[in-house]
Amino acid sequence: MTATDSSTGVKDAAEIVLAVSGLGVGYYPRVGERWDVVAEVNLNLRAGRTVALVGESGCGKSITAAALGGLLPRNMQRDRGELRWAAGVDARPGRGLAYVFQDPGECLNPVFTIGNQIREVLPPEDVPDASARLTSLLRTVGFTESERVLASYPHQLSGGMQQRAMLAMALAGRPRVLVADEPTTALDVTVQAKILQLLGQLQRQENLAILLITHNLGVVAEMADEVHVMYAGRIVESGPVALLRNPQHPYVQGLLRALPRLHGEAGRLVGIPGTVPPLGRRPAGCGFHPRCALGREICRTQEPPWRENQGHGVACWTRGAGSWA
Amino acid sequence: MSTPLLTVDNLRVTYRVGRRRVAAVKGVSFSVARGQCLGIVGESGSGKSSLARAILALEPAATGQVIFAGEDVLKMSRAARQVFRRRAQMVFQDPLGSLNPRLKIGAALAEVLRVHGLARNRREAAAQTAAWLATVGLDAEYATRFPHELSGGQRQRVNLARALCVGAEFLVADEPVSALDVSVQAQILNLLKTLQTERGITWVLIGHDLAVMRHMADELVVMQAGEVVEHGRAVDILASPQHPYTRELVAAVPDVDRALQCRA
Ligand SMILES: Nc1ncnc2c1ncn2[C@@H]1O[C@H](COP(=O)(O)OP(=O)(O)OP(=O)(O)O)[C@@H](O)[C@H]1O
Ligand code: SF4
Ligand SMILES: [Mg+2]
Repeated sequence: MTATDSSTGVKDAAEIVLAVSGLGVGYYPRVGERWDVVAEVNLNLRAGRTVALVGESGCGKSITAAALGGLLPRNMQRDRGELRWAAGVDARPGRGLAYVFQDPGECLNPVFTIGNQIREVLPPEDVPDASARLTSLLRTVGFTESERVLASYPHQLSGGMQQRAMLAMALAGRPRVLVADEPTTALDVTVQAKILQLLGQLQRQENLAILLITHNLGVVAEMADEVHVMYAGRIVESGPVALLRNPQHPYVQGLLRALPRLHGEAGRLVGIPGTVPPLGRRPAGCGFHPRCALGREICRTQEPPWRENQGHGVACWTRGAGSWA
Repeated sequence: MSTPLLTVDNLRVTYRVGRRRVAAVKGVSFSVARGQCLGIVGESGSGKSSLARAILALEPAATGQVIFAGEDVLKMSRAARQVFRRRAQMVFQDPLGSLNPRLKIGAALAEVLRVHGLARNRREAAAQTAAWLATVGLDAEYATRFPHELSGGQRQRVNLARALCVGAEFLVADEPVSALDVSVQAQILNLLKTLQTERGITWVLIGHDLAVMRHMADELVVMQAGEVVEHGRAVDILASPQHPYTRELVAAVPDVDRALQCRA
């Protein structure tokens, strides 16, 4: 279930389908006031590659994802940075970029059959031959009895099948970028394994750029080429997925220490004291400082600089450039 | 080994579906020694939660035997059951649902103490409440907060305090950490372990995360479709699963170490 092999990081020659630079999303609690929800996010989404965005609840993963396709909640705005599409990509939502979510309920309407819902989102060029296209889409996501599935209502399908139907719907517009926001979080592990396998297969088949959002580092290690770890709205460490073997940022190190493992030492875990701050209470300076054992005076007042070395970047006053191989 | 605190023998739980009765738990047997943690894993619909409720006599349609400290829970007199309900408690996944939103944490705990006749007056209740909050790692200041002002991990601590303050010695926890982030999950799991080793609490821990079980459970029961397919020491089962279903489960867990090893 490992993802396609890759020459990761800066040396990757795969085409950049969508370049996200300096992305910032503001929340406007009342007139004249703006809070950062997400700030200075840089991502290169490449054809046939998977970029994982990880971090705990409330770090800004979903808001980042929503900003890419114009799905932000009404009280938020993408008001910093830019999105650059490769030449020739249809940037309209549903065409260049499509979504799958954790909860199929966000995409699937309970009162229409699967067939009618996918038909609804077919691009005009596929409408004349709709039935053939529907059958082929369902086959692509691994359904053998396509007739029966097309005639079903969402509640008649299991969680894994709903997830496949949602994938078929996402693929209807022949997207170049697929944003998968916690696509398997609600599923049993055996079903999760099958959906992840399917995602990898679709990626190879369609040369999809995938932005995979998850809080599961195991899923990241199995699926992603590149990983970006977010905390309090910012990327704190990023690079080829192998960086997880020896992460530098204190938060990322803490996450890995807190993770229960199937192998090795089965003793006590090491938690990170405190919790992720809610939007209105994000601290000044480094967002992680109230929970960080390596914090210093400067961490409380000034944002740590982003330092990068051979495609591996870290935002920290204490751990920085040169401290990794 | 000491005599078991809990012995479950041929336990069945059935539900009515239309005109049929379907079995959610199909004749399950195991026991838990005092001060131990028994993990129960399985996928959704495997019968874990029905089993949990049956152990605490919350499933009227359960048959078989659930022997707790020598007495059959399913056949207890009303008086005996009242004592049992104090000694054996359930801990849920999202404690917000089980906390009164209009009561401050301190008042909620004091109310529990009062109902069980464990505090004679307000001062005693406040002192005990502060002590229990400290036991679960919360500052006494949290007594003045409302449930919605707490994070998920803090609410789970309050929930534990509420179970412990009436003298629970046996806790059945149904997915107690699955709603929490890993950094906080580790804090809570460590607290559960501390309560086990330092206060001798006996646990039945229900969950779907095999890695969590490996860290927490002394023994493990693997359930599939209402039946126990494997039972033994948790570390042994997870190191070399015997039943095909257990093997499938273990192989399906996304494993950060194994995956990183496979990558150049
Ligand atoms: N509609 C909204 N209005 C106000 N604040 C919001 C809204 N949606 C999200 N937020 C806040 O924005 C921040 C980022 O949220 P986001 O949903 O992106 O987190 P996430 O990393 O996806 O978390 P999770 O793992 O829980 O899905 C959080 O502090 C969250 O509470
Ligand atoms: S900048 Fe300071 S507080 Fe932030 S992670 Fe680095 S050492 Fe810790
Ligand atoms: Mg999210």
